[in-house]
Amino acid sequence: MDVSGVLEAHKQKFKSIAVEGKLIPVQYDLGLLAAFDENPVDTAELNRNKDEYLQALSRDNAQLLFNEIFQLQTISDDNGVMAMLPTPTTLLPREKPLPKPKPETRWEKFAKAKGIVNRKKERMVYDDASGEYKPRWGYKAINDDGTKDWIIEVPAGANPMEDQYGARREAKKERIDKNDKRRQRNMEEAAVATKMDQKAVNKGDRPNMDNVRSMKRREIENQILISKSSTASAGKFDASIKGDLKPKGIKRQFESTITDMSKEKAGNMSILDRVVGKNGEDLVNVRKAIKSTKSRH
Amino acid sequence: MLRTITPRNARVKRVLKNREAKTEENVKTAIFIRGSQTSQIVNDALADLYMLKKPHAVNFTKKNQIHPFEDQSNLQFFSQKNDASLFVIGTHSKKRPNTLTFARMFDHQLLDMIEVSIEKGIPMKDFKTPKSAIGMKPCFMFNGDMWDQNPNYIMFKSMLLDFYHGQSVDKVALAGLEYVISVTAGPMTSEGKPGKIYLRTYTIVLKRSGVKLPRIELVEMGPSMDMTFGRISEAKPDVWKQSLRVPKELKPKKKKNITKDVMGDTVGRIHLGKQDFTKIQTRKMKGLKKRTSTEDADESSDKKQRVDDSGDEE
Repeated sequence: MDVSGVLEAHKQKFKSIAVEGKLIPVQYDLGLLAAFDENPVDTAELNRNKDEYLQALSRDNAQLLFNEIFQLQTISDDNGVMAMLPTPTTLLPREKPLPKPKPETRWEKFAKAKGIVNRKKERMVYDDASGEYKPRWGYKAINDDGTKDWIIEVPAGANPMEDQYGARREAKKERIDKNDKRRQRNMEEAAVATKMDQKAVNKGDRPNMDNVRSMKRREIENQILISKSSTASAGKFDASIKGDLKPKGIKRQFESTITDMSKEKAGNMSILDRVVGKNGEDLVNVRKAIKSTKSRH
Repeated sequence: MLRTITPRNARVKRVLKNREAKTEENVKTAIFIRGSQTSQIVNDALADLYMLKKPHAVNFTKKNQIHPFEDQSNLQFFSQKNDASLFVIGTHSKKRPNTLTFARMFDHQLLDMIEVSIEKGIPMKDFKTPKSAIGMKPCFMFNGDMWDQNPNYIMFKSMLLDFYHGQSVDKVALAGLEYVISVTAGPMTSEGKPGKIYLRTYTIVLKRSGVKLPRIELVEMGPSMDMTFGRISEAKPDVWKQSLRVPKELKPKKKKNITKDVMGDTVGRIHLGKQDFTKIQTRKMKGLKKRTSTEDADESSDKKQRVDDSGDEE
């Protein structure tokens, strides 16, 4: 039985999805759902009936774009049929620069060198004493550090009157303080490291510790110098201490006697411009000048 | 300049974290600003462009003394304050009537900027047709041979794609493709200057076509604008290059050992590793059989016997 006639008749009932008259094939960027039709626009038609022409042109291109999109691989989920899009080919600028790699902490650096990999631990652990799951740390945590034991044996050689609970609490507090100090140190080092060598950090290198220390040292020295000159006499009458820091003077720099003429001219012109030129107005505070001349008279 | 905020609670901390530079970025937020003087055409255009960009958009309803081509400090401030990187500024003056300035920021600094003036604009509300839902992804259409040739056209195309492409996704719901932004470049003027560009927006109607793929029909939704190009401020080459950098994580991974030949067929290369010749199975022959030394001695005596037997039979 020949059904081609029936199929053809069925097809005739609907408008076609084929688009004709595209000399240059239309380009697509399916990642952005975009079509680029480089065929020249029919100027005469555009001038005659603009809106109809634009709509017809857009319809044809939309048809072509949809033909492409509907031929992509699809999956169906709760949102209906989804077409898998390729990555966009048109490059669009970012909003912000690439994120900088975070400076490593001392522990991270050590772990990396030793090949230690963090293993995830469960947040909840089984507590034998109460027979239920409790958080590993924090509020209502399991008794992991022995501060919640109901009885503690006095260690050999210890003072029997000493509060063992207090000792354990103290020990825990010390551990926390120590960790906090290290955290602080890591933060300082990270701050210095990022300030120090942006290029090295961008590349992912960690600047070496000697540089960090010298940087920190320089910062502290600067602060000492500032504090020294912060007395009423700007540090003039302070007793000097042996081996104390001395402020480094500003080195004067001289231009060489023979230089580029144009540079010299530009420098002189800029001075002249500031004094007598258009921008010279800002140089004199007129109100203040009047006031001072008045008071002199 | 903005003061730096140190987070004092978790909510602020989350917001600030969201604003940091990331490998996969947030959808760019656009701010729609009215200049010191605007016309009805400009207001309508801003409102419609805002509607299309929603929900990643902020509408400034008050007028602002803003001249983006003269001074960008305002834009930088707004960009930092709102964590936005796209701007549309609408102004209207005798010299430049009905002007929209599209501006883009990179790292809260101005990247590039293009000005268009609307010659004829019909707002969305004047089309009594169904509209697309808010926040849908549009399809784009750039018609005409000019879009890759002139800096004006290149920038406008890039700008429009950047404004409305929304979240970069790897899949899209076919039923969610609701509208098309179609931009047609008209012919160049007689002096060789860029001509008009026609921006149209249509909703999509999918019809049955008798085959699996649907027949597309378009219904104009608005806004519709006929525009000409004005001033342009291109990005500095080094900043532009920096802004186009793709993080290592998002770069497509190179597939090893898969190539395409001239005919477009995919050819794979498989590495088998080193073959162990001692274990290779060749043709089975008695002479090649492996045996231990004791077995060897036994078998040789066997062979002799058999030879002797056969001799007997004869």
